[in-house]
Amino acid sequence: MAMVDKELNFINYSSIWFEELGIQKGDIRGKSFFEVVPNTPRIFKNILKNCLKQTDVTKIEQQHTLPNGSSQWYKWRVKPCKDREGNVAGLIISSENITRLKRTKELLETTENVARIGGWELDLLTNKIQWSDITKEIHEVPLSYVPSIDTAMQFYKEGEHREKIRKLIENAIEKGESWDTELQIVTASGKDLWVRAKGVPELINGKIVRLFGVFQDIDTIKRAELENEIIVERLKIATAAANVGIWEYHLWDNTQSWDDRMYALYGVKKESFTKSFEAWLSCIHPDDKEKVLLEIDMALRGEKEFKTKFRVVLPSGDIRHIKAIATLQEDKAGNRIKMIGTNWDITELINTQLKLDKSQESLKGSFESSAVGMSLVGVDGSWLDVNESLCKSLGYTREEMMQLTFQDITHPDDLDEDLEYLQALLDGKSDSYQLEKRYFHKKGHIVYIILTVTAVKDISGNVSHFISQILDITSRIEATKKSNELLKVSKSQNESLTNFAHIVSHNLRSHSSNLSMLINYLMEEEDEEERKELESMILDASESLNETVQHLNEVVSIKTDIQDQLQDLNLLEGIRSVVKNISGLLKDRKVQCKIDINEDEKIKAVPAYLDSILLNLFTNSIKYCSPDKPPIINITAKKTGDMVTLEFTDNGLGIDLDRHGDKIFGMYKTFHKHKDAKGIGLFITKNQIEAMNGKIQVRSKVNEGTTFIISFLSANTTIK
Amino acid sequence: MMTFNHSCIIDDDPISVFGMKRSMKKVNFSKTIEVYHNGQEAIDGITAMVAAGQKIPSVIFLDLNMPIMDGWEFLENFTKIPNTNTDYVTIFIVSSSVNPRDIIRAKEYSIVNNYILKPIQPKDLLKVLSEIKAQ
Repeated sequence: MAMVDKELNFINYSSIWFEELGIQKGDIRGKSFFEVVPNTPRIFKNILKNCLKQTDVTKIEQQHTLPNGSSQWYKWRVKPCKDREGNVAGLIISSENITRLKRTKELLETTENVARIGGWELDLLTNKIQWSDITKEIHEVPLSYVPSIDTAMQFYKEGEHREKIRKLIENAIEKGESWDTELQIVTASGKDLWVRAKGVPELINGKIVRLFGVFQDIDTIKRAELENEIIVERLKIATAAANVGIWEYHLWDNTQSWDDRMYALYGVKKESFTKSFEAWLSCIHPDDKEKVLLEIDMALRGEKEFKTKFRVVLPSGDIRHIKAIATLQEDKAGNRIKMIGTNWDITELINTQLKLDKSQESLKGSFESSAVGMSLVGVDGSWLDVNESLCKSLGYTREEMMQLTFQDITHPDDLDEDLEYLQALLDGKSDSYQLEKRYFHKKGHIVYIILTVTAVKDISGNVSHFISQILDITSRIEATKKSNELLKVSKSQNESLTNFAHIVSHNLRSHSSNLSMLINYLMEEEDEEERKELESMILDASESLNETVQHLNEVVSIKTDIQDQLQDLNLLEGIRSVVKNISGLLKDRKVQCKIDINEDEKIKAVPAYLDSILLNLFTNSIKYCSPDKPPIINITAKKTGDMVTLEFTDNGLGIDLDRHGDKIFGMYKTFHKHKDAKGIGLFITKNQIEAMNGKIQVRSKVNEGTTFIISFLSANTTIK
Repeated sequence: MMTFNHSCIIDDDPISVFGMKRSMKKVNFSKTIEVYHNGQEAIDGITAMVAAGQKIPSVIFLDLNMPIMDGWEFLENFTKIPNTNTDYVTIFIVSSSVNPRDIIRAKEYSIVNNYILKPIQPKDLLKVLSEIKAQ
């Protein structure tokens, strides 16, 4: 404190003055204020001078720069003092260092600005409302804006927000309750904004006179919070839906905290669970305990992430499969404080997996042991796997098969069709196909199969591989072929039988009609010469009838079922024996026989049939020999496969095969004008050969000769 | 009673030919009767007649079962003989075959007038005469 005169020279002063203002101690009486207090702003001189004219106390807050360069705030109280006459004699000046206070306020204001906290007050006596600049800024109104109670309320968002603030203010006025809440306002520019509104009532003599409080823009935080809430809610729903339990293991006190789902997962009641680590461990299946403990230890040592599967035994005794993942949490100092993680129920998954394994196993089993050939084929046509049956059908070992593709063993004529179907599978146009096709056996022969191919698709719907089932129908096809052949044989036999019946009928009728006709003539003929002639004709006719009946007997005696009478005969010996029997005839006609047959050649034949066949061939050659050249007969034989082929060639008249080819072996077909031609020999020959599973063909040129080609079953051939 | 100038028998069975001729003579069927023993002979004979400008037989009795060339082959070849006025000729098949297949087959030839079962009798010939007369 100091006193100055009207000229602002010091009259008196306290010692604290020096310290306060940092002035060099010494007698300052009579010295000018501005001389003593340096760095006083110019404006201060005017103020002080002005004070001399005032009666009241003037308070000034002023910043000074001290001699040491630091800046200080002072609060000056200047009061004029009067002499006895009542005239102003000087000023009493007191100063107070308010730097700290001022700094605190500055800090607060800065904070307010940064945190966007505004202030407000409501004088209930005048009903006037005051907003700080920040409050105005939050409302997005100009600083010159003057709010009223009504307009202030209008800023709150219509509905629950406005309703709530109204109630809170009412409560504050009536009951003196303060509030602190979060509400939404709509700013002057129409923006929705979350604010924190805080209000405190002021009581004077038990009466509320004023409400004041702060107003903070918390929009960003609030929105983030709301967003977070939604996420949390979503997470909650997700974990609930996924049946995921969340647990924490507090390492320091060895306890665990579980969420509700954990209790449900372990079938444990929340009230009875002691929340200790041991309590948790006791739920785990005895066989899995050791593993889980080890995993936890490893996780705690940081050797391995905690990610495991174990079984828990529910109080009901049921077993549940749990998958667990956890991470370690550390405090700021890097100490491990807890493990936090999830548990979820994978029982169904495990069971499904088990079922899948089982069905895979059974598939593998049926794949291997199936009597049907099976293979897994890649989209490139290579085998992924083949089963035993398939290998067996085709004569390869599994190793050999795996080296091949299905294209390698498919009959070339069947490949395109198969590939076409396969492409349709690849294109997704069909799921499976079936076709009959041919494979080649390792030994080269054809294997007939029915192939069924099914496409297997991966999760994304693309063909991953094919399952092929290969049914070997070779034996069936062979049987069909054989039965077709049998059908053909029986059909031709049936035909020849019908034919035979007609021939028999024709021949018998022609003779009988001749006989009846001749007898009729004989009865009416009176001329003795004529009668004699008729009688001789009747004799001829009856002889012809007899001959015909003999032929028919011969034909009928050819049995087709003579398999058990077949013997292994030496072909050369058979021929020699016939030649010997007709040696007289051969000699008489000067026939030259050339026989070129292996001495060991043996055939399967009925001796009587072979005799009859050879005899017929010889007599035919002699009967139809050329009148211009000496007859020559060439006989050769060679073995091909299961058959021995005999070629019997003459140089006789020959037969016009273009005309008679289809009838040469027919019954009663004659082609030459020869007195002995009956048209029965070759018919019988053919039937005898066929009865012995053989075949006869003919090659001939008119006037050059005829070759009969006869195939017999070779000896030692097993008859099918 | 009408009588043909030329008729012809194609048959390899001598007894059958004898019977036919005898019946024909009885009904005075034709002035001349030509006999061939198989289809080939008949074709050769008729071809020679045509070549010589002679009239060919207007009625032919044809057997089916014959050596060298049977009745069917004869039918095929007969129409191929050049310069033959086949419209003028009537062919009767005379056979002992009762096989329906043969009878049906015979009907397929327009030149064949009828199928007569052996033994041929005078009443069959009379019927033939009246049929041709009606035409």
